[in-house]
Amino acid sequence: MLVMNNKANILIIEDDPVITEFLQTGLKYEGYKVSVSNSGKDGLDMLRQDTFNLVILDIMLPDIDGFDVCRRIRNRGLNIPILMLTVKKEVSDRVKGLDSGADDYLTKPFSFDELLARIRALLRRIGKIRENKKIQAGSILLNTETREVRREGQLIDLTPTEFSLLELFMRYPRRVFTRETLLNRVLGYEYDGGTNIIDVHVNHLRNKLDDTSHRLIRTIYGVGYAFYTEE
Amino acid sequence: MNKILEKFSLRARLGLLYAVLLISSVVLVSYYSYWNIWQLFINSKTSHLRARAKPIIDHWLVDQGLTNPDSVQMNFTHQSALVLSRDLTSRDAVAIVLNRQGEVIANGRRLPEEPVAPAPDTRYFRKALSGMNEITYWSEVNGKPVLVFLIPLRPQPGSRHIFGVIQVSTSLADINEILFRHGSMQITAVAIILMLGIAFGYWLIGLSLKDLQNLSATCREIAKGDFAKRTKVKNRKDEIGKLAESFNLMIDKLENMFNSQKRFVANAAHELLTPLTGLRGSLEVLLRGAQDDPEATNRLSKGMYKEVKRLIRVCDQLLGLSRLENSSNVGKRRIVLNEFIKDFEQRGKLLAQGRQIVIQEGPLLTLMADPDLLEQILFNLLSNAVRYSPAGTPVILGWKLIADYVEIWISDRGKGMDNKTLAHVFEPFYRGKNENVTGEKGAGLGLALTKSMVEAQGGTIRIESTPGNGTTVFFTLPL
Repeated sequence: MLVMNNKANILIIEDDPVITEFLQTGLKYEGYKVSVSNSGKDGLDMLRQDTFNLVILDIMLPDIDGFDVCRRIRNRGLNIPILMLTVKKEVSDRVKGLDSGADDYLTKPFSFDELLARIRALLRRIGKIRENKKIQAGSILLNTETREVRREGQLIDLTPTEFSLLELFMRYPRRVFTRETLLNRVLGYEYDGGTNIIDVHVNHLRNKLDDTSHRLIRTIYGVGYAFYTEE
Repeated sequence: MNKILEKFSLRARLGLLYAVLLISSVVLVSYYSYWNIWQLFINSKTSHLRARAKPIIDHWLVDQGLTNPDSVQMNFTHQSALVLSRDLTSRDAVAIVLNRQGEVIANGRRLPEEPVAPAPDTRYFRKALSGMNEITYWSEVNGKPVLVFLIPLRPQPGSRHIFGVIQVSTSLADINEILFRHGSMQITAVAIILMLGIAFGYWLIGLSLKDLQNLSATCREIAKGDFAKRTKVKNRKDEIGKLAESFNLMIDKLENMFNSQKRFVANAAHELLTPLTGLRGSLEVLLRGAQDDPEATNRLSKGMYKEVKRLIRVCDQLLGLSRLENSSNVGKRRIVLNEFIKDFEQRGKLLAQGRQIVIQEGPLLTLMADPDLLEQILFNLLSNAVRYSPAGTPVILGWKLIADYVEIWISDRGKGMDNKTLAHVFEPFYRGKNENVTGEKGAGLGLALTKSMVEAQGGTIRIESTPGNGTTVFFTLPL
């Protein structure tokens, strides 16, 4: 669905160790290059030394506050997208953040999925990622817009769950997914049934894709599943 | 009456009162002056006429041979009476002479321009006949007022033998005309004065009450939530000025309290939401797939564990603060301080992380305090001392007796703090800058809580610190 021209480079300016930890881990998992700065001044230094595509900026920093960092970045003439993070929910704070030069604003505690969506939107705006509605893997073509899957031009009828499963597999070919992760990603974090349901969906998908030899969706024993493009 | 008055504004009531007072005083004064002038006119006229009549009557008595009571019978005739009445009659007065029977025996009026005499009044006539002098009364001739006075005729002054009465009357038309002119002028003047006075008074009252109206308008605006509003008073030293001043002072205090409350809630929310952000984000990242990587799982789980501990600590401290607002939660008991400190030292060794705890023992004493709170205070101060001082330096704990309270101190040889930090150090959620401390980052509630705990027991707390030289916290507790 989203193809990155090259890996987007994200700078996180945030002093809370746990928040930087999950941001770093989560964003790396999504394929971004991530750097972390624990203070506003270090962050500004890092921006001078390296090229970044996006800044995630906390407002409460130990030295200079996020509004100030934002203004200094803009004063340097940098047009880099800035996503602000703060606990303050008041409209006046959001206005202040946006006026100081931020492009977007998220209030804590935010959903990581929403953060990812906003990062994608900001990167799309500067042309850093190109939206491709069609993903091709060998003879399989998946269209996220029409939610159609074709194999050698032949339309394959999939349930929404099967479609989501295949989309995830095709976006990250060769990545090994555990059943738990597949369950969370496809059925949502609040689904509390067993992981057997994933085996059922994978089997249905294999049948519909005519993958009887399990060459496409391979079972990784003791771990989970991984998707491979036909050689 | 009060009920009715309360329906009107203060301005209307004061205006009404002012107008009533003004009208009644002006009317009284002008009535009194009118009456005085009237009296003056009458008196002067009366005395003038009497003064003129006296010598004429005396002459007449001699001329007519009436000074002897025995000759009266013979000499008091129509003829002689006519002489007298004519002598006394002029352009402005007319005299008639009556005999003892009350019959008019002579009328002095000869010319048409001379005034007409009123018919005699028998009531006053009898009084005059009985010997009363100086009778003056009012009467009317053709509807016009006349002043009448009666003079009894006697042969000698003081004689009891009264043989007739002379009635002199004079028209009051001229006096009336003057007084009417004067009166109408006075009424006009009074009306003008009243109108101007009431208008000016109303304006003056309005001016005085304007600040009150401003005050009530300001009140309404503040009630709507705009705490920055103040009422404007320009150098008023009166009651309203003082009221406005007190009002502004009160709103200042309220605004401060309101703002600090707001700040407290915002800070508390911040302290709760920040760990929740870490928890939520870490969980989502784990569920999205980081759980497949044991190393990432371990790191994220440890972070979440820290956040949960932080949340619990913040909640505990917030609950502690709110609990201390109620003094009934303080359970004071008699404590032997020396023993208490020794016990605390044993437990504190673990917390001191190898630092030596030096006890500067004060006098043996007991005090009334809540042992749990005292332990918590010492624990908080010790952990602060440990946190802000390098390993290997001692932490000093001591006490001394000052009058009727004990002062306890905990001192470290750490880096100390500057005056700016010192000024805010007891504020909830305040954290000093450049905090590279040993251990976990606090929420900035520790010292605020410690202060509340000391104050809940009736004590005080203060900090002395010099940058680079260490910090000492002193707190007192009553015995």
